[in-house]
Amino acid sequence: MVRLAYVQLAGCCGCLVSLADTYERLLDILDEVELVYCQTLMDEREVPECDVVLVEGAVCLNHEECVEEARELEEKAETIVALGACASTGNFMRYSRGNEQSAPTHEAFVPLTEVVDVDYAVPGCPPAPEAIERFLTLLLEGKTELLEPFAKLAEGKTEYCGCDLMYHVVNKNMCMGCGTCAAACPTRAIEVVDGRPVVNEDRCIKCGACFTQCPRTIWPGDEAIKELVMGGEEE
Amino acid sequence: MSERAEIQPTTRHEGHAKLVLYVDDEGYVERAFYLNTSAIRGFEAMAKGRPAEFVQVAVMRICGICQATHGTASAEAFERAMGIEPPRDGRLLRELCALGNRIQSHVLHQLLVLDDFVEDEKEKVEAVKRIQQIRKIGQYVVDVVGGEGIHPPNIRIGGMAENISESARKRLYRRLREARELMEEQHEFMKEVVERFAEENDLDMDEFGRHDQPFLATHPTYGDPDRLDLDRVVEVLPIEYYGEEHKEEAYEHNGQIPLYDGVPVEVGPRSRYVVFDGVDPRGVLYIHILRSQETLAAIDRCLNILEELNTSGKTLAEWEPRAGTGVGVHEAPRGTNVHIARVNEKGIVEDYRIIAASTWNFPVVEKAIEGEHQDYAEVIMRCYDI
Amino acid sequence: MSELEEVMVKGDEELLGEHLGVFTARSTERRILKAAQDGGIVSAVMIYGLEEGKFDGVIASVTDPDDPEEPWKPRPVVITDPDEVLEAAGTKYTYCPNVSVLKEAVRRYGCERVAMVGTPCQIRAVRKAQLLPVGMRHVPDKIELLIGIICMENFPYEGLKTMVEQLCGVWMREVAKMDIGKGKFWVYTDDGEVKTIPIDETHPFEGEPCHVCTDYCAELSDLTAGSVGSPDGWSTVIVRTEKALELLNEMVEQGLLEVKSIEEVKPGLGLVEKLAQAKKSKNQKEIEERKELGLPEPGKVHEQL
Ligand SMILES: Cc1cc2nc3c(=O)[nH]c(=O)nc-3n(C[C@H](O)[C@H](O)[C@H](O)COP(=O)(O)OP(=O)(O)OC[C@H]3O[C@@H](n4cnc5c(N)ncnc54)[C@H](O)[C@@H]3O)c2cc1C
Ligand code: SF4
Ligand code: SF4
Ligand code: SF4
Repeated sequence: MVRLAYVQLAGCCGCLVSLADTYERLLDILDEVELVYCQTLMDEREVPECDVVLVEGAVCLNHEECVEEARELEEKAETIVALGACASTGNFMRYSRGNEQSAPTHEAFVPLTEVVDVDYAVPGCPPAPEAIERFLTLLLEGKTELLEPFAKLAEGKTEYCGCDLMYHVVNKNMCMGCGTCAAACPTRAIEVVDGRPVVNEDRCIKCGACFTQCPRTIWPGDEAIKELVMGGEEE
Repeated sequence: MSERAEIQPTTRHEGHAKLVLYVDDEGYVERAFYLNTSAIRGFEAMAKGRPAEFVQVAVMRICGICQATHGTASAEAFERAMGIEPPRDGRLLRELCALGNRIQSHVLHQLLVLDDFVEDEKEKVEAVKRIQQIRKIGQYVVDVVGGEGIHPPNIRIGGMAENISESARKRLYRRLREARELMEEQHEFMKEVVERFAEENDLDMDEFGRHDQPFLATHPTYGDPDRLDLDRVVEVLPIEYYGEEHKEEAYEHNGQIPLYDGVPVEVGPRSRYVVFDGVDPRGVLYIHILRSQETLAAIDRCLNILEELNTSGKTLAEWEPRAGTGVGVHEAPRGTNVHIARVNEKGIVEDYRIIAASTWNFPVVEKAIEGEHQDYAEVIMRCYDI
Repeated sequence: MSELEEVMVKGDEELLGEHLGVFTARSTERRILKAAQDGGIVSAVMIYGLEEGKFDGVIASVTDPDDPEEPWKPRPVVITDPDEVLEAAGTKYTYCPNVSVLKEAVRRYGCERVAMVGTPCQIRAVRKAQLLPVGMRHVPDKIELLIGIICMENFPYEGLKTMVEQLCGVWMREVAKMDIGKGKFWVYTDDGEVKTIPIDETHPFEGEPCHVCTDYCAELSDLTAGSVGSPDGWSTVIVRTEKALELLNEMVEQGLLEVKSIEEVKPGLGLVEKLAQAKKSKNQKEIEERKELGLPEPGKVHEQL
């Protein structure tokens, strides 16, 4: 059985709550794996060697334990997954500037993808429960072709945020105005005006949900949809 | 001569923390330090120079378990700073949204503490299933009213982004009635397992973990800045609080320590019952029972709100930025959550302060642990929802 | 075999997408036919589904004809009352972000069984949201039925307005209906006037992002409706999933739909296939040309970053 660890770095626990929001299916999901570490849910106090680690939260470069904990994962885990925007894209932590009275020097927060060799990144703040569940299923079943986009996002080339949506979809003449980005945005920063998204930068936290959800940026392939969605599985 | 013991990290709660205990020969704790070891993400500093709207969205991400409270306290702070009056139905929906969160958060906490009280696998699984059913309904409230179950974006400066539909109101009502039944069962369960635990371990429910600190609460179901005299609140650095002789511990604690009238005060479900219903605080284990009772009360208040709500009423006030300072207070699942905002005439944040609910309880946890056996340190800590 | 299954035929799945069958149909209700674009299949399915409790919300597109500024500017709506479905009937030849209210349907309206009508790209968007619902918390399992509409291309609002006002010489506010068919763009006014321009003249106003789309028949829908292939006032319907077939069977049994074999009507299935082929080859070529310019391929944008 796959040994799964859940590690929280500088995050809010929301990604874990999202996993818990699979409600009645949570126990089934946990039956499929051996949960070996999750400080919020169990008493294990040190991350053991494991097959997969889900990591939530950003890395604070000024916090030694945090950096160490992140770095050690490369040795401890076979597969490292950046779960959620803080770990994958940086999220609103991109606005951190330090100078907080209680820890003035904690100022450099970066996504895990910038510090560690991450295998997969699942953006979103938080990623939907159904997305986490799907991701885990694909991972456990070894459907690597479908995981490829997440592997690509793990390279952490950009924030995949509202700006990227403009640069790489709208500016590239690819937006057909479906409105998916607006629905996906967890802060409701996007409004579709005259068939194209307008991003309210005051609300955008750089979570990457819009870019990732847009059907024009990443297309998983018709076959996967026919098999996994239309095959009756969802119904 | 007392011995030093460390429990690190403490488990089954949000964030990162550690316990440092000085214990006597028999293992009784003479002095406890409960230290927050999480990296400080610097929300207060991040807020400066940013538009109010961004800050209200960002601060929800302080805690993924009780985001609605931060969204609410922040919106309240900005509204008071800029003289904005949310419409009645917006205010009701906001209360409803945060109560949905209180329901899910309270029972989630019950899930985290299960291992302290239940050994039987079957009993545990049953409890988890029931808790998940209740959480599902609590989250349904937040999803429908707040827009997202986690970090609800409908909470806005000025009220709520939108009203709910009439059919959603009916559905919420139905589901909450279901939640009430489940919660009654869960309440009985909590009472039973906590009392059983006390009995088996020969602990006196009235005395175990009892402390002499005062209790602070501003409202039973929402939050009221008028009941919090900020002049009596100070936030001190750990080094000031613990003193030079405990430098080592002080430097490990990330965060300031809020005091009321110069002393630590307890916040949370028990405080709300002590302040508003005059209950006898008894020992710490009693907090579990009050938290559970408060979940039932939250469900009842939700049902009331749904009756009061006009689903075609206005929910969001239009507003123009204006310079000012405002205090927003909301009773988080964990206790009194305070946000203080100063904005300039363009609505840009000049200063922002947050006293998150659990920070009040950190020093209280220490008091509750002191005098008890070290084996119970984490059990006591978990009576508080850190 | 049901009455419906008897008239169903199969077409080329390479071009139409996988399907159980294709047929020609129209609603038997006058009020639906009066309001609808073609055979009123989309509206009829929505009304039936809402009335029978199969759906508790449907997403469609409405305009506000009394809006003095932009009477034909569509916006997406969530409809829970079957009596309101016809307010959304009829084709709007411009972008309408139907998917943007999908979450609102399951949140604010508390819907648990949503049906949505959409262009092929919108149907794709929802399917992806079901497969990889990164930003679609609790949405995937609330989608009951996806109704696709056949689509060659769409137009930006100002493009459409130019076609109507400049090329056809009719004010937008006077327009009762627009249509594309028989090689022409048609505008019907409130006064019963009919204006047309050759379809070629509309090409310059087509939305460029539509030119990288190779899906004509909403290949991932549960069922798709279009005008092409069937006579005026009738719709060509492609059924893809058992769920959709069951629903349509019921509707036929209850006399809500009149159905015919598409082989009995003109211009017939051949035209649907021909146009599907045309869209696929033309737009595939466009994608290749864009690639040469260094532009990203749709669905692979992330690979280039
Ligand atoms: C942009 C566009 C291009 C089209 N191109 C073709 C074509 O090339 N060949 C072809 O055969 N058919 C095409 N159609 C489909 C055709 O016009 C009819 O919509 C279809 O035949 C269904 O007819 P009906 O009588 O069943 O629909 P109705 O009962 O009238 O219902 C139509 C439904 O579609 C919704 N709708 C209308 N406009 C839009 C929009 N812009 N975006 C999303 N939803 C909308 C309405 O709200 C309504 O619910 C196109 C439709 C659109 C919107
Ligand atoms: S991505 Fe969002 S939910 Fe997840 S840890 Fe970060 S702030 Fe919390
Ligand atoms: S626009 Fe919304 S979805 Fe996109 S990155 Fe910003 S917050 Fe996230
Ligand atoms: S999801 Fe993509 S294609 Fe759809 S409106 Fe947004 S940017 Fe455009």
